[in-house]
Amino acid sequence: MKKQLSYWMAALMVVTFVATGCKKDPKGPENEEELITTLKLTFTEVGGTATSTVTFKDADGPGGNAPTQNEQIVLAPNKQYNCTVQVLDESKSPAVDITTEVIAEANDHQFYYEPTGVNITVTGLNTDPNGRPLGVTSRWNCGAVSGPGTVKVTLKHKPGAKGSSDPVTLGETDVEVTFAARIQ
Amino acid sequence: MGGSIAQVLGQCTLVFSGKVIDADTRLPLSGALVQIPALKISKATDADGNFKIAGICAGNYDVNISHVSCTPITEHLHFKDDIKHNFFLPHTSNELADVTVRGTISTKGAAISQDIKGKELEALRGLSLGESLQKITGVSVLQTGSNIYKPVIHGLHSNRVLILNNGIRQEGQQWGSEHAPEIDPYVANRLSVVKGASTIRYGGDAIGGVVLVEPKLLRSVPGVSGELNIAAFSNNRQGTLSGIIEGNSKRNNAFSWRLQGTVKRGGNAKTPNYWLANSGNEEFNGSAAMGWRSAKKGLEFFYSIFNTKLAIFSGSHIGNVTDLMQAISSKEPPDYIRNVGFTYRINRPYQQVQHQLMKVKAFRNTGDVGKLNMILSLQHNWRREYDVRRFQSSANVPQLDLKMTTLGTDLIWDHFNTGHFRGTAGITGSYQRNSYEYRLFIPNYEALNFGAFVVEKWNYKKWLIEGGLRFDHRSMLNTNSNGGIQYPDRRFNNVSGNTGISYEAADGLQFTINASTAWRAPQVNELYSDGLHHGSARIEKGDANLQPERSNSILFNTILNKGRWHIDAGVYIKRIDGFIYLFPIFPPELTIRGAFPTFRFGQAPVAMHGFDLSAAYTISSHFQVDAKSSIVRAKNRNTKEWMIQMPADRYEAGIQYSLGDFKKWKETYIKPTVQYVSRQTRVPATGNIPVMKPDGSTAMESDYLMPPSAYTLLGLEAGTILQTKHQKIQFTLTVSNALNVVYREYMNAFRYFSDEMGRNIGLKIKIPIEPKTKS
Repeated sequence: MKKQLSYWMAALMVVTFVATGCKKDPKGPENEEELITTLKLTFTEVGGTATSTVTFKDADGPGGNAPTQNEQIVLAPNKQYNCTVQVLDESKSPAVDITTEVIAEANDHQFYYEPTGVNITVTGLNTDPNGRPLGVTSRWNCGAVSGPGTVKVTLKHKPGAKGSSDPVTLGETDVEVTFAARIQ
Repeated sequence: MGGSIAQVLGQCTLVFSGKVIDADTRLPLSGALVQIPALKISKATDADGNFKIAGICAGNYDVNISHVSCTPITEHLHFKDDIKHNFFLPHTSNELADVTVRGTISTKGAAISQDIKGKELEALRGLSLGESLQKITGVSVLQTGSNIYKPVIHGLHSNRVLILNNGIRQEGQQWGSEHAPEIDPYVANRLSVVKGASTIRYGGDAIGGVVLVEPKLLRSVPGVSGELNIAAFSNNRQGTLSGIIEGNSKRNNAFSWRLQGTVKRGGNAKTPNYWLANSGNEEFNGSAAMGWRSAKKGLEFFYSIFNTKLAIFSGSHIGNVTDLMQAISSKEPPDYIRNVGFTYRINRPYQQVQHQLMKVKAFRNTGDVGKLNMILSLQHNWRREYDVRRFQSSANVPQLDLKMTTLGTDLIWDHFNTGHFRGTAGITGSYQRNSYEYRLFIPNYEALNFGAFVVEKWNYKKWLIEGGLRFDHRSMLNTNSNGGIQYPDRRFNNVSGNTGISYEAADGLQFTINASTAWRAPQVNELYSDGLHHGSARIEKGDANLQPERSNSILFNTILNKGRWHIDAGVYIKRIDGFIYLFPIFPPELTIRGAFPTFRFGQAPVAMHGFDLSAAYTISSHFQVDAKSSIVRAKNRNTKEWMIQMPADRYEAGIQYSLGDFKKWKETYIKPTVQYVSRQTRVPATGNIPVMKPDGSTAMESDYLMPPSAYTLLGLEAGTILQTKHQKIQFTLTVSNALNVVYREYMNAFRYFSDEMGRNIGLKIKIPIEPKTKS
């Protein structure tokens, strides 16, 4: 009887070890898909060629470490600038330009630019194939010397819900960055 | 009314007789107790196992049969004429040692517990485990939308509630508030809740309580039988089909087996005013069990797989704190979400979870005094969370992917009544490994647990004294891949203990007092979580220096089961030192997606107390009324503030009208119910969250939105059994939120975004399949 018991116990052990042996080693963690780490604005003075960029970078995405780069927008008074926005995933190597995907699905996305306390008006947002604002490119009209204020840049994702004059509150926020801004 | 009393009086002459037989040895059992609690009848069998009870009134009663060396059984019998009925008791002295003693009078224990079985369980079929457990007083749920329900016992949940699935500690990703238990309730024929730390048999960390999901014992009578369960719900057009087939070998009486499976599919749920876009669910589960047993030894094998895909309501998926404030200030989901109709389709965001359990158990009697059990278990939990797909071209991969494997071993020795003592001693050990892919929320880790315990019961006349002592060790090892931070290994050792005294003051009146001290080591999420929580737009940060929490509690319980009354009332006081909880920190964390509310785990001394009551009164053989109430209070002892997210007071009442039998329709009843849940007013007065007031000013609050208003819901339950010559079919109809009331529940994480489900009519059909060839 004793013998039989130990036989059982041994059999159980074998079953367990076989079962655990099937367990595969964990893969090294991959980064999250479609992480947006970086927002970059490139300004070109209308009629000129000189460009300047401002960048906001949160290298590991939301959570984890704090954003590593948060630059200030500084533009000249009474000038007009063409602005191009880029969203990047720099956690991958090489960095992935997510702007191309925004453009490919322009019908579901929209950039918003909201200046506060600084003499800037943003107009001329480029449009999606349905003729609704997209905002990958825009025209920034600067007034007199002012600031420091802020410009809030928001990328909204609103599949199936996009209209021609949506408020910024509609849809889900993919990017929301507030840059300090002044005109001097 | 007069008629029914006359009828009752006129028929109290029925005779109930029969024999109690050991299902394995086929020998009659002498000294077995046959009890009808409703009539306070208790009779022991004679030397040949026979019993005879005269003077029974016509009606439906639960009959309890128990014997010292057997598992007690309960059968529901209908008395119309004299009945002769033989009972087969599974000969399993302490077979369910992994089923704890519970506080009902019949089974004698000093732990405080309640269970759901029989008709009550039939009415809950088709619901998830968490939803079903709400039937027990003192148990509420933490909800995430219409699909995800987590049990809350005395205001405590997640890591503080231990769930035992067929005797095995469920090791899933239990820590998240939107992580429901990965268990198919159809495997169980009894759900029990042991309240507080009144048992230490399963681990000292069950500070809230233990949920036991107990399958019925394998068939011990030769033959094959089965059961088919169908459940359909009107609100989300959900259908569930679950079947069991089981057998016991005729040639070799020791071999039994069972196969069980469930499929479930539901579409979008509907609030009284709109559909909840993307709120469907899918589930398919299966289990297999086999057992070989003789009176002296046995071997059991159990495997189960649980698969679920749960849609997350579109209107709850928000990008950042701005979106959250927007959703709250607009009160209802935006039109493009409200205007979605019904579909079974599950879109992103959703979560997909698989849980597999394998268990092997061997036992052997150690002479006449006890039994040695060895249990090995292997669990694999795979949780994938899919956020909204950012682009159509995006790869179809989850944002969060967690895999957890747990290997457990238990060696348990039960000893039977020696003198007036009986008890259990054992050692348990487990190894766990968790790994993730994609987004970091908790790091990869390994964990080791080791425990040793002794629980002894001393039973003499009307007294039962129980005491238990347990030592536990837990280590968290080899955390890695956590964003460049290296955490040191943590090791925790400590002791928990409890003692209970139960006194049967009179027939049908029992008092139990239970005192316990228990501790819980901080879990991986509390120590190391660092990241964005799925769709809830909040960042959670662990604290690697947390210390274990210690809970000291006293529970007092009274059960009165006398005459027309059945009352189960309990009060408890709990002091938890170093209670680990999430609190918001200010300012919110800045990210590229805007500001996110950020929560950090901290510790505080907490005092809790509460009250559970369930009472039933039988007015006549037709009418029975019952009422239930659960109240819990929790305060931070340092700040004297109320604790956040505790369930509001709830009250329930019902009146059951039993129609009795009519031709082939048996045990027909109808039961309207009413439930009132008050507004939770006991929340912290101030906090770290800047909330915009309607007048435009900003105030610092403890929550984004104040708790919702009180609500009252009406419901209905009705049932009948169709008994034809060869077949029995049980029907149960349930209606919840019968008046289609618009309400929100404080304990639902989606209360910020949408109303609760509207009226839901459920039909449950149970078809037992019992071939005629009965031995």
